[in-house]
Amino acid sequence: MFREGILRKAPSPTPMTTPRTQPEGASGPAAGVSFAPETAPLPDATETYTADSITSLSGRDAVRLRPAMYIGSNGELGLHHLVYEVVDNSVDEALAGYCTHVEVIIHPDNSISVIDNGRGIPVDIKQDDPKKRSAVEIVLTELHAGAKFGEDNTYKVSGGLHGVGVSCVNFLSEWLRVEVYRNGFVHEQEFERGIPTGPLRQTGRTTKRGTRVSFKPDGEIFTTTTYDFDTLAQRLREKAFLTRGLTIVLTDERGEQERRQEFFYRGGIAEFVAHLNRNKTVLMPEPFYCEVTQGDVTVEVAIQYNDGYDEKVFSFANNINTVDGGTHLSGFRTALTASINAYAVSEGLTKQLKENLTGDDVREGLVAVVSVKIPQPQFEGQTKNKLNSDVKGLVDSVLRERLKTYFGEHPAVARRIIMKAVDAARAREAARRAREISRKSSLSNLTLPGKLADCSERDPAKAELFIVEGDSAGGSAKQGRDRRTQAILPLKGKILNVEKARYDKMLSHGEIGALIMALGTGIGKSDFSIEKLRYHKIILLCDADVDGSHIRTLLLTFFYRQMPELIERGHVFIAQPPLYKVKKGKVEQYLLDDRELNKYLLKRATEDVQVTVVPTGQMLAGRELAKFLDKLLEFETFLPKLERRMQRDARLVELTLQACTSEDGYRPGRKLHMLFEAEAWPRRLVETLSAAGYAAVLTRDEEHALFRVVVTLPGHSTPEPTVAVDWELATHAEFQKCVTIYAEWRHAMTGPYLVNQGTTTMTIPERAGLSEQILALAKRDVTIQRYKGLGEMNPEQLWETTLNAEKRTLLQVRINDAVETDAVFTVLMGDAVEPRRRFIEEHALDVKNLDI
Amino acid sequence: MSLIRCPICGAETTWVGNPTRPFCSEACQLRDLGHWLTEQYTIPGTPADAPPLDDADDES
Repeated sequence: MFREGILRKAPSPTPMTTPRTQPEGASGPAAGVSFAPETAPLPDATETYTADSITSLSGRDAVRLRPAMYIGSNGELGLHHLVYEVVDNSVDEALAGYCTHVEVIIHPDNSISVIDNGRGIPVDIKQDDPKKRSAVEIVLTELHAGAKFGEDNTYKVSGGLHGVGVSCVNFLSEWLRVEVYRNGFVHEQEFERGIPTGPLRQTGRTTKRGTRVSFKPDGEIFTTTTYDFDTLAQRLREKAFLTRGLTIVLTDERGEQERRQEFFYRGGIAEFVAHLNRNKTVLMPEPFYCEVTQGDVTVEVAIQYNDGYDEKVFSFANNINTVDGGTHLSGFRTALTASINAYAVSEGLTKQLKENLTGDDVREGLVAVVSVKIPQPQFEGQTKNKLNSDVKGLVDSVLRERLKTYFGEHPAVARRIIMKAVDAARAREAARRAREISRKSSLSNLTLPGKLADCSERDPAKAELFIVEGDSAGGSAKQGRDRRTQAILPLKGKILNVEKARYDKMLSHGEIGALIMALGTGIGKSDFSIEKLRYHKIILLCDADVDGSHIRTLLLTFFYRQMPELIERGHVFIAQPPLYKVKKGKVEQYLLDDRELNKYLLKRATEDVQVTVVPTGQMLAGRELAKFLDKLLEFETFLPKLERRMQRDARLVELTLQACTSEDGYRPGRKLHMLFEAEAWPRRLVETLSAAGYAAVLTRDEEHALFRVVVTLPGHSTPEPTVAVDWELATHAEFQKCVTIYAEWRHAMTGPYLVNQGTTTMTIPERAGLSEQILALAKRDVTIQRYKGLGEMNPEQLWETTLNAEKRTLLQVRINDAVETDAVFTVLMGDAVEPRRRFIEEHALDVKNLDI
Repeated sequence: MSLIRCPICGAETTWVGNPTRPFCSEACQLRDLGHWLTEQYTIPGTPADAPPLDDADDES
């Protein structure tokens, strides 16, 4: 910034510093030339005036009169700006390669010291200066004095180009002291409000090199004079990132304990973006980084995406933060958008999109730093907030080339970035469509979807909408409904053949659009309005099979996510179409599910069947028999699961159940836990099992401080399989159910049985065949029809069983149900293949679990 | 259920007093709507070598 021999004034005043706003009454900052303020000089200015200082006085008065024009404001912003101006000079020394360490100290009185180990400001007398002042004094008392205006480029690049900086700091400080360590000597000079209290003096010897500037901001100028540590720290960290290898230390002496922070970043701006992403999930393990020098311009870019939506891009020109961007930023943006689109098209990643990814799409989650270094930067306005130099084309072409190579070398990263942008484009498209749908649905009933068979009732509280799966069922429902109050919207899951490997289900966008329009509410945060809901009962009517449950899951998830208010207010219901029709003689009956069918059959069976349990002589008939058979059926659903837990050894299970429910074992009303508390019962189990040929031993369950029985099964495999009968086993529902039912009906759990109906009697040797046999008897003169789908019902049947408000049963969907459905949906949708595979396997045979 | 997880980004958010529930933000809500309207949500169905489902027959 300051060097002997070349220190001179700017050849032409302020080539690029036209102020954006010029206060009324001011003739503008004719910086560097004499300037007589139209208003009276500030009171203090007259005290130390001499004729010698008249030139600098005019610059000084201009700055003191309108500080905002030079440093942005006379508030907090400007106060901190003083520090940046001084630090920028040290950073310029670092950029030129002469400075490695800058120390910034906030003193207890809020004065500041900036100390660097650069070359030190030149101290000799400037020979062509009429007043024969030292170079130090000139740079501290004249605007636009400095080496940056020299034609021989002492500083090839520099941020403090304008040279207004350090003299402004001087003018706006109550006092300023400069110490220069140079050529083995210390030189000092002091100023008060910009006016030297004496000439530069050589005061002593030193081995140090560099400059120390200390100053106290003038309380007459600034509305606040208290520095904020964090504000300074943030800016200094930025400076350190931008100047690889430079250490900046910030110390705060004001508190009881000294606070100190050191900034040193070997990684430069790549480390900067990583720092900005420190609490984020990033899409690229390492930031993209490039540095290219062409001619005397250097372009440096670092990019790292995170999974958020915000854009955080910092642009710098000669290490000055250009907060309003400029040519370098627009070059960066053009290149980024073009590069991502080019790669996306070449890899076929944007096929589902109608148009290219926009700049907004590719900038979601973007964190980047663009930094250019140029010899003569052109800024727009005084505050250097926007770069005007013609570097757009250069940044664009350089970045395009480097990104192309980068994407080629990191296809997985490129894919992630592109998929994120595609996602953003979809959201944009969704917003557009949502607006369209909302607009259409608000127009009038004329735009109701064609598939909707509306009802005549206009009062939403009395109107119902049935969303019916499948066109054929939709047809039946349209014919069978009550036209006054019931509207029908047939909806069909779209089937997608995924790579010829799977038939996937989804709702087409047409179906979703029709649904939103039929409801009339509109969609999206700003457009959805519950008051416009056209039906207060929305009833899902789906088949009772896997497909039906998938459609239901999709619809409920859609409601939960996009129209949660419908569920909160209890507008959503699930219809319960029957699964069976049974007919005996002329009497027809519809039954909801397997459980109802069994109940029906058992009731019928017990009308004329009696069962005698041979070993106990117990006779069961009528209601008692129905109760027993009901429990037996329940028992039989749990027994196989318990057997699975016990190495599929049915005999072992039976013996264990018998033992569990014996004299000193479990009794209804007691707790299962007691079985394992004392030694007596487990010992009895060991005896029972040993007598039956098992190798059983009694051991301690140390974890629970209980007893356990370990049974070794005689087998061919080694090691021989073992089963532990202990508290762990007893915590499973299948064990609990089996034991409690067994205990309740112990007297009837062991065959053979005699089954008597009218005049015929047959013998059933084992319990296993009993319920089946009795159900067979019950089915003898009953026809059972199982509906495979709603389509198998005719309109009258559908009305009778499902639509008619007098007879139907509806399940109201509550938020908790919907949350569970959403969880199921999330697993089904998820990227995690393993949980999804497991989920589908577990539930493939058990459709009920997919239901809410 | 005071705290829920945003179905899109997984961030923790609240149900009560959240205008974009169950999402954490309008951005996520919109993103989800985008998935619905561009048919990104499919439920994996039966393997293709198994007989196609009933309404697949209807379509042919």
